[in-house]
Amino acid sequence: MRGLVKQISVFLENKPGRLAELMKVLEGSKIKVKAMGIAETGSYGVIRMVVDRHEEALKTLREANMAANEASVLAISLEDGLYKASKALGEAGVNIEYAYTALNAVIVKVDDEARARKALEQAGVKVLEHI
Amino acid sequence: MAYELPPTAKMKLSEIKELQSKLLRALIRRVYEKVPFYHKKLKEVGLTPDDVKSVEDLQKKKFFTVKDDLRANYPLGLLAVSQREVVRIHASSGTTGLPTIMAYTQGDIERWAELNARCLAVAGASQEDVVQVAYGYGLFTGGLGLHYGAEKLGAKVIPASVGNTKRQIKLMKDLKATVLCCTPSYALYIAEVAREEGVDPGRDLNLNLGIFGAEPWSEGTRKRIEEELDLRAHDIYGMSELYGPGVAIECVERNGLHVWCDHFIVEVIDPKTGEALEPGEEGELVFTTLTKEALPLIRYRSRDISILEEEPCSCGLEHPRIMRIRGRTDDMIKVRGVAVFPSQVEEVLSRIDGLAGHYQIIVDRDGPLDKLKVRVEVASSYVSDKLSDLMKLQQKVEEELREALAVRAEVELVEPKGLPRSEGKAQRVIDLRKV
Repeated sequence: MRGLVKQISVFLENKPGRLAELMKVLEGSKIKVKAMGIAETGSYGVIRMVVDRHEEALKTLREANMAANEASVLAISLEDGLYKASKALGEAGVNIEYAYTALNAVIVKVDDEARARKALEQAGVKVLEHI
Repeated sequence: MAYELPPTAKMKLSEIKELQSKLLRALIRRVYEKVPFYHKKLKEVGLTPDDVKSVEDLQKKKFFTVKDDLRANYPLGLLAVSQREVVRIHASSGTTGLPTIMAYTQGDIERWAELNARCLAVAGASQEDVVQVAYGYGLFTGGLGLHYGAEKLGAKVIPASVGNTKRQIKLMKDLKATVLCCTPSYALYIAEVAREEGVDPGRDLNLNLGIFGAEPWSEGTRKRIEEELDLRAHDIYGMSELYGPGVAIECVERNGLHVWCDHFIVEVIDPKTGEALEPGEEGELVFTTLTKEALPLIRYRSRDISILEEEPCSCGLEHPRIMRIRGRTDDMIKVRGVAVFPSQVEEVLSRIDGLAGHYQIIVDRDGPLDKLKVRVEVASSYVSDKLSDLMKLQQKVEEELREALAVRAEVELVEPKGLPRSEGKAQRVIDLRKV
């Protein structure tokens, strides 16, 4: 779907060396991480990433027995600031479930993708197709 | 020539009981003469061979043999034959002390093979099958027990033993194995390695029957193994003290395991008082070996917890059934005074989606209180990008464990393959209170 970036998320235990293990697997397949965020609670967490080749990343991680999966996210350009974008989503009744930043965009997971895209488009907010 | 069940396997219950009394009387006479330990023990409770007409006469005296009796007579103090008649030795793992040594005459080996052949046959195997035996070979009875049984059945045997799982899967695939015999935890591990190797059991393997035993397992684990390996899983029961595997097997009905009562008397007792319980009541299984020559045991306390069922089974066999083993009296963990069995934990975990079925129970002390922690592996197929879903999963496991165990357990989610794997019997419980 146009305007939708794929995100890979991985369940990891919250202890030293786990992130390195994950990155080692990606590095082994020469996959580049373009954005990353961590959500954690106590002994475990979820690593969320946007990578340059998500299908390969998913396959490689699953082969390495990691609990990895993909989801669609929106990459909203940081060019015009975030007020316009967040206002448009808020007024359309779209909830942001989580967000983290890339260099040029904020990666946003919303509860209603179609409605969010429509609202952003109407407000003239730039949504990136890749980052 | 096709294998056929022996006439005693097809007896009516009344005929079985008659045969048992006859064999028991001969057995008591034999051990009274040949085994000093039993001679002394019978005398102590005031019994002579003439006084023992049925097992009730022994029940009244609370006459038992326990594992410590075997240890006290280490290695071969309980032999009922001369040393030269012994052709085989096996031993139990002996994790808690001396290994328990078991001895077999040539006749014992033949009867044991026959018991395993009929287990395989009753579960649906025949001489057309290719049987991969992935129980350990050696002192442990699992490997050789099923091996001899499958040969007796006339099947083709692959004596793969445990370990080298990749080669195991390759053999299974290339030789078109149709029956797999191993512990349920190793079956799950084989399924996991198969996936990693890109082998799809449904498409690439020919397995249609699994004979799994040597550790307690749950209905949920059965379902999982059946899905992952695309076969029909049957529970088999036994222990080295009773020849080994082959004491009891699930027939096609898979509603309890038929105990071969032409070879064993099975009873259920209250593990605390030693009182005999009625069929249908849960307690510790007690076995008397009626046909073992080298090392017969009278009313041996198995420490396995189950229920005995004497109602006829729709498969036609009238040998009484024991229900799925709920745990062992020595697997039982007391947490804040509440009895917890690993099998209860397993049962809960196996019915929750998103988990891999592997777990570890850690008991520790938190001040004066016992603390129970269950580490559970998240399945590699688990799908969610939300932390809240993981927290919900953790909460669900905690709630369901609390309901099933009647004691609170802290749950820790672990990454796929984050827990140690076992090829033999799984080490499920770590009790840090003893350290």
